[in-house]
Amino acid sequence: MDLSALLEAIGRGPRGADLRAWSFAGSVSRRASLGVKDGQAGNAHAPFTLGETSTVHYLLVWSDGRVSRGTWERRQVEREIDRALDEARLAAYDDPDAARVCGRASLPVVALHDAAAARAALGEVTEIADRLNAVREMVARRSFRTWSGSFAAAEGMTRVVTSQGFDAATSGTSLSWHVSLNGESGDGYGARRAETHAEFLARLERLAAIADDLARDADPDGGRDDLVLLHPRVVEAYVVETLLANLDGAAVAHGQSHFDRHGFGSDTPVLREDIELLVDPLLPHRLGSYACTGEGVPASRTALVERGRLVSPVLDLKYARRLGLEPTAQPYAMDTVRFGGAEQIPNSDALDRAVGGLLVLSVLGIHTQDPTSGDFSLSAQQSLRIGPRGFAGRQRSTISGNLFELLRRDDLVFVAFEGETTPGLLTRCRIHPT
Amino acid sequence: MVGELERLDAWAAALVQRAEARGVLLIARAQARRVRRVVVHDGRIEATSSASLTGCGIQIVDPAGHSVIASRDGLEIEPALGLVDRLVELLARADRLGIERCPLAELAPLRDRRVPVDPAAFDRIDLGAVGRRLLDLEREIAGRVPNTSVQVSYRAELDAWRVFRSDGTDVLFAAPRCNLTTRLTGRQAAARHAVSAAVFSPTPDIDDEDSTVRLFLRRAEIAARLALALPDAPPHPAGSFPLVIDYGLAKGLAHEAFGHAAEADGLRSSVLARDGRFRVGETVGADHVSVIDEPVEGDHAWQPFSANGVRRDRVVIVDHGRLCDALSDPWSAAAGGVRLTGAERSESFRHAPQPRMTNIRIEVDAPLAAPGEFETYDPLGVRELLRAAGVLRRHPRVVYLSGYAGGQVNTSSGDFVFQCKAIYTLDERGATLQRPAIFSGSMFGALGSIREAFGPLQLDAIGTCGKWGQSVPSSGGSHYFLVLEPHERVRLGGR
Repeated sequence: MDLSALLEAIGRGPRGADLRAWSFAGSVSRRASLGVKDGQAGNAHAPFTLGETSTVHYLLVWSDGRVSRGTWERRQVEREIDRALDEARLAAYDDPDAARVCGRASLPVVALHDAAAARAALGEVTEIADRLNAVREMVARRSFRTWSGSFAAAEGMTRVVTSQGFDAATSGTSLSWHVSLNGESGDGYGARRAETHAEFLARLERLAAIADDLARDADPDGGRDDLVLLHPRVVEAYVVETLLANLDGAAVAHGQSHFDRHGFGSDTPVLREDIELLVDPLLPHRLGSYACTGEGVPASRTALVERGRLVSPVLDLKYARRLGLEPTAQPYAMDTVRFGGAEQIPNSDALDRAVGGLLVLSVLGIHTQDPTSGDFSLSAQQSLRIGPRGFAGRQRSTISGNLFELLRRDDLVFVAFEGETTPGLLTRCRIHPT
Repeated sequence: MVGELERLDAWAAALVQRAEARGVLLIARAQARRVRRVVVHDGRIEATSSASLTGCGIQIVDPAGHSVIASRDGLEIEPALGLVDRLVELLARADRLGIERCPLAELAPLRDRRVPVDPAAFDRIDLGAVGRRLLDLEREIAGRVPNTSVQVSYRAELDAWRVFRSDGTDVLFAAPRCNLTTRLTGRQAAARHAVSAAVFSPTPDIDDEDSTVRLFLRRAEIAARLALALPDAPPHPAGSFPLVIDYGLAKGLAHEAFGHAAEADGLRSSVLARDGRFRVGETVGADHVSVIDEPVEGDHAWQPFSANGVRRDRVVIVDHGRLCDALSDPWSAAAGGVRLTGAERSESFRHAPQPRMTNIRIEVDAPLAAPGEFETYDPLGVRELLRAAGVLRRHPRVVYLSGYAGGQVNTSSGDFVFQCKAIYTLDERGATLQRPAIFSGSMFGALGSIREAFGPLQLDAIGTCGKWGQSVPSSGGSHYFLVLEPHERVRLGGR
């Protein structure tokens, strides 16, 4: 978005004279997407859609030290900026920790843009059509009852400007897809550029194999009641997300986290001593990669948990100041978050060790769990009984326990899965067939 | 902001004219939404913000039945006309993608307007005064239940839409949504639990409405005491039990178990359909139980017209145990063998409308009395209701699930889950608190096992529905309490 009217208003008007500091992050994005519902591509409920969006996030620090924060839409920035500034002034409040903007800084070079993805975001359909046709072919060949999915591409430009001389513009793209078969098992991929067609087909075939395995039920007798292998998708969606919710700087500062402020930097482990969790936004072409945050904090690799010990919460400028720590990298997407232990075993070894247990592919109810306590009680309807010679059919179950206890267990094992950046977890919790 | 939409007559006429010239049907959705928000925590204001969203979504349908959408911020005429042209060009590539042909059913044109509040009241909100009021409320809660971390939030939203169609349809509506929410976290070092509570109102002075504030404080106090007690509570065993659920959980059951499966865009794979047709007339629950969805004026999820400009109807999904109506839109009604009920909603002008719920409830014939307000019933009060009605003679031990904490459903299989905030075991010794656990099972098992209901209908359980990646407000409820007989396909997780 063109910020010139805004910067001019700040420079000339009475409201500008009333400002001590300011920070703006203006962004413009274009997006194209196509949905598929029950085999119907682009029907009225999942149509091909083109969209353009522009917003400005602002932080204004007034001469009396009060602050205003929020978002403006394009109309306000381009035509109604004086009124928007007046309204922001009326909404100002005391928040000394938030009254901080970034100064000049050099930014790392991070690969964020891809020309093919940018063309797709404008409505060029080749990329989407190729993938769509491959899914249709696979569904027909393997006779799946139904399938649904989505394909999307986006391109965005962001400019961050502050009163302290920070001024940086970056552009990035994204390309993502998701497919579910028989209304149940699903998988997908997202990055700043497309994966190779071979990688796409390999992921699709893995998904199809899982859907086939889920189509037959396991013998109701004979399973174990405590051994689970959590698929990396479950680890990302529940385990890592719950850890990140408790590492959120605001939650830590307000006592809403499982972790206390004094635990960060302490030598006392809170998880098993080989566990680490870090954010690396410098990785090329990942969805979660970036050059600077919307506040102007340059991207850097940040350890949140090392050797089972708390290193830092996830901190923006405000909560870094509140907690007396440095701002950190932001986990904008799971593909820049690294979670694991000292070693991982191959998936085949894990299946040997887990005979009688369950491979949990997906769970229902993640968003209903209380992250603070770590107690979990989840419906694992998409689970496969692990047999001595492969999967022995589907076993619908509920699983329950406490996540933090689980992450302190000596017998917890990290398991490598093909095509996944996050490991699976072989562990013990309560299993109840349903 | 409503005024901005009212000035769109020429804008709409130009779009309709351009669509006619290009040989396509048009649905234009203009939206203006404004949200004001304040958050306080531990004695200080943590956030005060004002945000607005104004833009248009243009949907065209060509004579073959292909449909595409484009959206853009702002309501300027030339860029909107440009969207029509871009979409026509995009349709030229539709065959390459194999886009489905779904002709738009013929609809009766509608012209109407529903703005139930004074929009200027939302412009007059004094966020500074709201912040001071929230700080008072936070002190009050912390004073009533010490040793808790208290966060209190205020949100006032006016969401205004104007929908035009090529056939002359022109509807304008504005949905007011204001709420107070609190999140309470126990300050114990060893184990912490968090519990939330909320109230809503259609008016932005919700923080000054005496009865609403009293209700909010009462709910916050109950939630805070629960957050403090949960760390010491044992887990409940897993299995099938006689259950009592409150109206918030009943809303979750209706929404997750039946509402989503009755959305007509999903009938090609829904467990409530056969060969894509809704199984009208089939028995799916006990014959004294009905499930009804309808827009309720003043409600958090109220929407009088659909995102395609169709009047939204009352929908009896289950009528005394039998499937009756589906939640449908112009593209799904005929294919699903159901009548058009105008159920489609969108998160914003950027999104394609989907059939979905507003306020959904479970109604039971001849409910038993439960005098007084719902909040006056603590677990022992619930136990007394059961004892007086003879339920504890039938089942000496009943498991009471209290407070809805979200849910999810697989409409293909009919499997649903939802989470409660607390479990109480009710028996002759009293009421024993236990930790929350997932409540899961088959929708048919759950609806078929409802036996008694206690109290009048209470329909103010609010939430957010996230179907197909779009968040829209949802609400609903039931009688104060429902009793469910044990069923092998309806289970609690747990130890």
